[in-house]
Amino acid sequence: MNDFSVEAIGLTKYFGDFKAVDNVSLTVPTGSIYGVLGPNGAGKTTSLRMTLGIIDPDEGTSRVFGERPQAVRHRIGYLPEERGLYPGMKAREAIAFMGALRGLDWSEGRRRAATFMTELGLERVIDEKIRKMSKGMAQMIQLIGSIVHAPDLIVLDEPFSGLDPVNQERLEMLVRRERDRGATILFSTHVMAHAERLCDRLAIIARSQRRFEGTVDDARGLLPMQVRYTPRADADATAIAALLPAGAEPRGDSWFFPIEDADVEPLLARITGSGLGVAGLSITRPALHDAFVHIVRQVDASFDADARTDAVEEALA
Amino acid sequence: MTPFLRNMLVIARRDFLAIVATPTFLLFLLAPLFMVGMGLAGGMGASQLADSARGAGRIVAVVGAGDVEALRAADARLRASVARRVPVLEVRIASPATADPVAIAREKGSDTYAVLSGPLATPRIVEREADSNAGHYLALLADDVLRSKAAGPLPAVAPKFEALSSGGTSIALQQSLGFGAVFIIFLLTLLLAGQTVSSLAEEKGNKVIEILAAAVPLESVFLGKLLGFLGVAVLFIAFWLVMALVGGMIAALQIDPAALASVQSASKATAALAAAPATGWPFFLGIGFVYFILSFLLLGAVFLGVGAQAATVREIQMLSLPITIFQVGMFSLSTAAASAPGSTLSTVAQIFPFSSPLAMAARAATDDSKAVHLLALGWQAIWVALVIFLSVRLFRAGVLSGGSSWKFWRKKTRA
Repeated sequence: MNDFSVEAIGLTKYFGDFKAVDNVSLTVPTGSIYGVLGPNGAGKTTSLRMTLGIIDPDEGTSRVFGERPQAVRHRIGYLPEERGLYPGMKAREAIAFMGALRGLDWSEGRRRAATFMTELGLERVIDEKIRKMSKGMAQMIQLIGSIVHAPDLIVLDEPFSGLDPVNQERLEMLVRRERDRGATILFSTHVMAHAERLCDRLAIIARSQRRFEGTVDDARGLLPMQVRYTPRADADATAIAALLPAGAEPRGDSWFFPIEDADVEPLLARITGSGLGVAGLSITRPALHDAFVHIVRQVDASFDADARTDAVEEALA
Repeated sequence: MTPFLRNMLVIARRDFLAIVATPTFLLFLLAPLFMVGMGLAGGMGASQLADSARGAGRIVAVVGAGDVEALRAADARLRASVARRVPVLEVRIASPATADPVAIAREKGSDTYAVLSGPLATPRIVEREADSNAGHYLALLADDVLRSKAAGPLPAVAPKFEALSSGGTSIALQQSLGFGAVFIIFLLTLLLAGQTVSSLAEEKGNKVIEILAAAVPLESVFLGKLLGFLGVAVLFIAFWLVMALVGGMIAALQIDPAALASVQSASKATAALAAAPATGWPFFLGIGFVYFILSFLLLGAVFLGVGAQAATVREIQMLSLPITIFQVGMFSLSTAAASAPGSTLSTVAQIFPFSSPLAMAARAATDDSKAVHLLALGWQAIWVALVIFLSVRLFRAGVLSGGSSWKFWRKKTRA
C-alpha cells in the first residue's frame, strides 16, 4: 500500500495570462483527512481538478495511488464544487448512476443508495426526483453518489457550503466514518471550524501558491499563545506594565499580550511573586482561523508591497 | 467487458432512458405523420408540375444518311397522330465514330428515353426503362420509314429491345434504388443525428459534466452519448417499420386478392419491385442499415463535437443552420454520385468520409462487388474515432479549460 494516496508535485495552471495555480504540491497520507484551505479564488478547485486529472496542469505531475489519476478513477469519489445532478432522475437512480460510472453494479448501487439515504434520514425521498428536492438534499444525494462505490480516495470540493448545521454535522460524521473505513479524504473549504475538527493535515493556498502545509497544531503554532491577565483591582498600573512583556495592552481591567511557549512558566512565576494578585488569567493557543487569517494577510501584504514597488518603478521609468 | 465499454454503456443507457421515458418522445415518434401530411400536399403540386413537364427529354435514332429525311417525315406524321406527348427526336447519322447506343443513352445534359440503332428492319432499341412508350415509338418510326420506301408488302419490323440493364435489372432502376438509399439515410440522419448537437448542453447546464469528466474518459462520454442517441434512432426506425408492416398487413386483409393481382400485373410498380440491387436485396438492405449507423455516428460525432463548444442554448440554435447546410451538402454530393456510378465524382463522394456512407449505400445498388464495403466501413469507423478524438481534445481545451494543445505557444509567449 502507498504511504501517500495523492502525490501532486509542482502543479501550475494558467487561464490565459492569469496564473491560477503556481507550483502547488499536495501530498496526502493514506488513510488521513487532508484539508485544502484558502480564500475564495485562491486556486483550491483548480488544484483539486488537476490532482484528479480532470484538467491538465501546464506544469507539474499528479499521481494517485502511485498511478496517473485517470488510471485509478474507479478508486476515487469526487464531489465537485459546482453541484450537478440530472433533475429528471430519481434520487436512488442518480446515486446508482454515479456508482455505475465508477464500475459499481446498478442493482448494488440502488441497494447501497437506499442504505445510505436511510442512515442520513433521507429515506422519504428515495424515489423522489432531484428537481423536487431542496438544494441541501440534492447536495447530500450527490455526496452519497460520490462515495457509494466505497472509494479509496474521496475528494470533496467545498462540501459544507449550502448545507444546514444538521447536515453539516451529518457530513462530518460521514467523513470520519469513511476515514475509519480506510479511505483517504481530501477536501477543500474556507470554513475553518470544519477543518479544525476534521483534518489530520492541511495545506493553505493563497494567491495561487501553497503557503502552509502541516497539522492543525502546526498551523496554530505559527502564532504565539495569547494571554489575558486580570490583576487585583487595586494593583498599581505602573508595576503591572513593568511586570508584563513590552507589547502588553490594557483593555478594561485586563491586559492582553502574546507569549511564546517557553516564556509561559517564567511569566507565571513572575506574576505569583509580584504580589499584584490574579483576578483572572487565561493562556490560549490561537485558533486555526487566526492562523489562516494571519497567513493570508501576510501574503496580501507582500502582494500590496510588490504592487507599490512596481508602481514606483513604473513611475520612475 | 472493458471499463471503457462499460462506461460508454452506462452513459448510453442514461441518455437513452432520459429521452425515451418522457412524454415529448411520443411527439418526436409521431413527427413523421406531420411530414407525411406535408409530403402529400407537396406531392400533389409536384405531380401537376411533372404532368406539365412530361415529354421533355429526347429519343435518339442513329440511322444511315439516306434515311434521315424519311425518318424526320415519319416522326412528323406519327407525332401528330399520337395522343401522348413524345420526347423530341434527335437524329444522328450512323458512322464508325458514332457512339454506342448505351453510351448515348447515358449521355449527360438531357434525359434520353430510348436510342434506336442498326438496320431499320431489325433495329436495336436501348430503353431507359423496359417496355417503354419511347422505345415502341422508335420501333413505329422504323416501320414507317421502311414502308414509305418499299413498294410492296413488307415483313414487320423486328426490333431488339434492350433496357439499360445489369444482371437482368435496369441500371436506371438500380440507380433509382441507390438514390432511394441515399435519400432515406440522409432523411433519417437529418431527423435524428442533428439532435446530438445539444446533447452535451444538458450536462453543461446542470454541471454534471464535471462528475462525468472525473469518473470516466471523455471519449466514452461522447461515444456513450452517440450510442444513446443511436438507440433512440433505431427505436424510431423500428417503430415505423413495425407500423408499416402492421399497416400493410391490415390493408392486405381488406383488399380483394383478385383485384390486387390485377393491379399488380398491370402496374409499373411491379417492375420496380422486381428490380434488384446489384448486390441483392438482403445484402443491400443490411449494408444500407449499417451505412445509416455509420452516417449517424459520423455526422452525430461532428455535431456533438461542435455542439459541445457552444456555451448557451442560443449558440446551439445558431449552429443548427451550418449543420443543416453541411448535411444537405453531403446529400447533394451523394446524389450526384449516385446518378453517375463509376465517375470520379462518385469516387470522391465514396472516399470523402462524411458523404461516404451515403455514396457507398448508392454503390451497393449498382455495383455487385461486396468486399469494397468492408473497406468503406473500416474507413468510416476510423473517421468516427478520429472525430470523437478531436472533439474531446477541443472540449477539454475549450470547455474544461484543461487542454495542452497550446502549451508550446503559451510557454513561448510567457517566457
